[in-house]
Amino acid sequence: MKRTSGSTDGFGLAEVMFSTIIFAAISLGLILGFISLERNYAATTDFATNHADEMRISDYLALDLRRAVALQAVHNDTTIFIPRFYASDGSTQTPILDGNGDVYYGDPGSTVRIHYYLSGGTIFRQQDSATPTPLAVNVQDFVFDATDSGKVVSTRITFNPTFVAGRASADATAATAFYNTTLLRNARSDSDVSVY
Amino acid sequence: MTITVLSLLAAEVIRLVSLKYQSALQTASWQEALLAAESGIDLGIVELRKSLFPSPNQGWDGWNNTTTENPHIVNHSLSTVVPNTAMTIEVNVDSVDPVSFVDSHNGWQYWRIRTVGTMPINGTATVTDNKQDNRLRKLSLRWERFTGGSLMTRAFRTDEGAHVSRRVEAVVRPVSSFNQAILSVGTIDLTNQNIVVDSYDSSDPTKSTGGLYDVTKRQENGDIATDGNLIEAGNAHIYGDVATNSGTVSGAANVTGTERDDFYQEPIPVGAPTWASFNSSVTNVTGTTTITGNSTSGTSVSRYQLSSINLSGSKTLTLAGNADGSPSYIELYVTGDISFSGTSQLIVKPGVNVKIYFQGNVDVGGNGILNSNNQPSDLQLFGIQPINDTPRHVNLGGNGQIVAAVYAPNHDITINGGGSDGHVFGSVVGSTVTMNGVTNLHYDEKLSSLGMINSYKIVSWFEESR
Repeated sequence: MKRTSGSTDGFGLAEVMFSTIIFAAISLGLILGFISLERNYAATTDFATNHADEMRISDYLALDLRRAVALQAVHNDTTIFIPRFYASDGSTQTPILDGNGDVYYGDPGSTVRIHYYLSGGTIFRQQDSATPTPLAVNVQDFVFDATDSGKVVSTRITFNPTFVAGRASADATAATAFYNTTLLRNARSDSDVSVY
Repeated sequence: MTITVLSLLAAEVIRLVSLKYQSALQTASWQEALLAAESGIDLGIVELRKSLFPSPNQGWDGWNNTTTENPHIVNHSLSTVVPNTAMTIEVNVDSVDPVSFVDSHNGWQYWRIRTVGTMPINGTATVTDNKQDNRLRKLSLRWERFTGGSLMTRAFRTDEGAHVSRRVEAVVRPVSSFNQAILSVGTIDLTNQNIVVDSYDSSDPTKSTGGLYDVTKRQENGDIATDGNLIEAGNAHIYGDVATNSGTVSGAANVTGTERDDFYQEPIPVGAPTWASFNSSVTNVTGTTTITGNSTSGTSVSRYQLSSINLSGSKTLTLAGNADGSPSYIELYVTGDISFSGTSQLIVKPGVNVKIYFQGNVDVGGNGILNSNNQPSDLQLFGIQPINDTPRHVNLGGNGQIVAAVYAPNHDITINGGGSDGHVFGSVVGSTVTMNGVTNLHYDEKLSSLGMINSYKIVSWFEESR
């Protein structure tokens, strides 16, 4: 009777080790790839979110600057004064001539103070003494400035991108700058210049 | 597993990109809505300016125009879709109040312009993932966001989809025809006289002395501007700005203000007065004559229509008022030419405020004009738009100083000064302006709130964002 080879045949040690190394290498590659993808995704999302925050803050600033009658701007802190268009009951007020060719709402010289500032990683917009409204959160790396040129005010907002490992370089931060130049429509009470 | 992870990643990326794309579309519509709203302000100002032109001027044609009484309020409204766009503009121009919205100094009407600019939002009607974005932009996706007592409310129409509206309220005030020291449609030539152009304000004691020019209180609003492209400044010392329409300024080494080349301001032509009645006691002036005024302006007894004024020799035309020098008013409408020669003279007595509308040419020589008040605002000369653009001129000169405000945008104006003492006080607006021998031009800033209304200026602007 002829004896046949049985199921006890297997891989040799060398084969097992070789295949294990290949599997480990592929797995490591995949894991590194996934980690890289995840980091890239997180960085992209972060950049997109920060960019949206920049746009929102810039649009808020521009909205108030267009109707500004006075302005005080320092680093990460901008105060804009706008006409007191609304009465205390929320209704719109009738404009009143001041006798010198200009117009005011409410009481003479009365304005609404809009304060933009960065505090605790959040940029707030506060109207008079009302509860501050957070415009963007987790933005401790944001820097915003307003440059007063009289008839126009330019704003610049930057953040530190997380694409760069560790601390972002000055160039990388500068590349995130979001600029806006706004023509102040109202004749300014704190300046000699007038728009029209 | 790899395919699954990659698919999930791809799905998330697509979701994020879609959100950002939608947000970008909405933001773009929001920005364009402001352009629409501000275009509405422009539309209102255009109609206000059109209504300044001599009739027929087509002002407010196509608008819904209403007037209510007690109180008397004028209202103009318009709703229009900008051709070839989906942009909608709604404008409302109103006089607000018959008393408080009129400047008590000169009776000028201010106007309030309220506009709503609306743009449709492309894409799906979904809100963004950030509530501050939504609070800022107030998109009307399924209902109108601006309701409940806000400025110019509008209902969400069933025939319109998601959209965004922005609302602006502006107040405009009239701008005087005498808003600059010199304004010309064409060339300004100061003829290399090293002329000094500056300003003062006869109504402000800090900018004048006793209502008169004081060099120690010199102001720097002696602006010179042309709709043309050439100002021959002739090394003038100009205490003010200089502006051309894409042109050049020669000899402008001594300009204290800014020099710009983007100026254009169409002067409103002067129409012939359409008085229902006037004083017919004097109809022509060829000899020594006295014309008397009245303590009330705009009355028929103080209005005269003359065929011409032609004086020679030592003849005079005296414009007289009250004996005590209290304010009185005279308006002359001269349908022909005005001429003073020899030693003839035009004399404006104290307290008399004179406006002269002239159809023809003006040649003032002789002893020139004696404006006793020494106030340019008390002698205003208006050149009526000639028929068929017939060339017209105004030559002002004579002995002594010239104290007057001249608005003749269809006339070529030449002012002949008196050498080192050749002072002109006032403002000059002409088709072209030439200064011969004038060494000093002092613009009285008080004129900026007098004279004809030549345009409108935005003095208040507010976008509702609540």
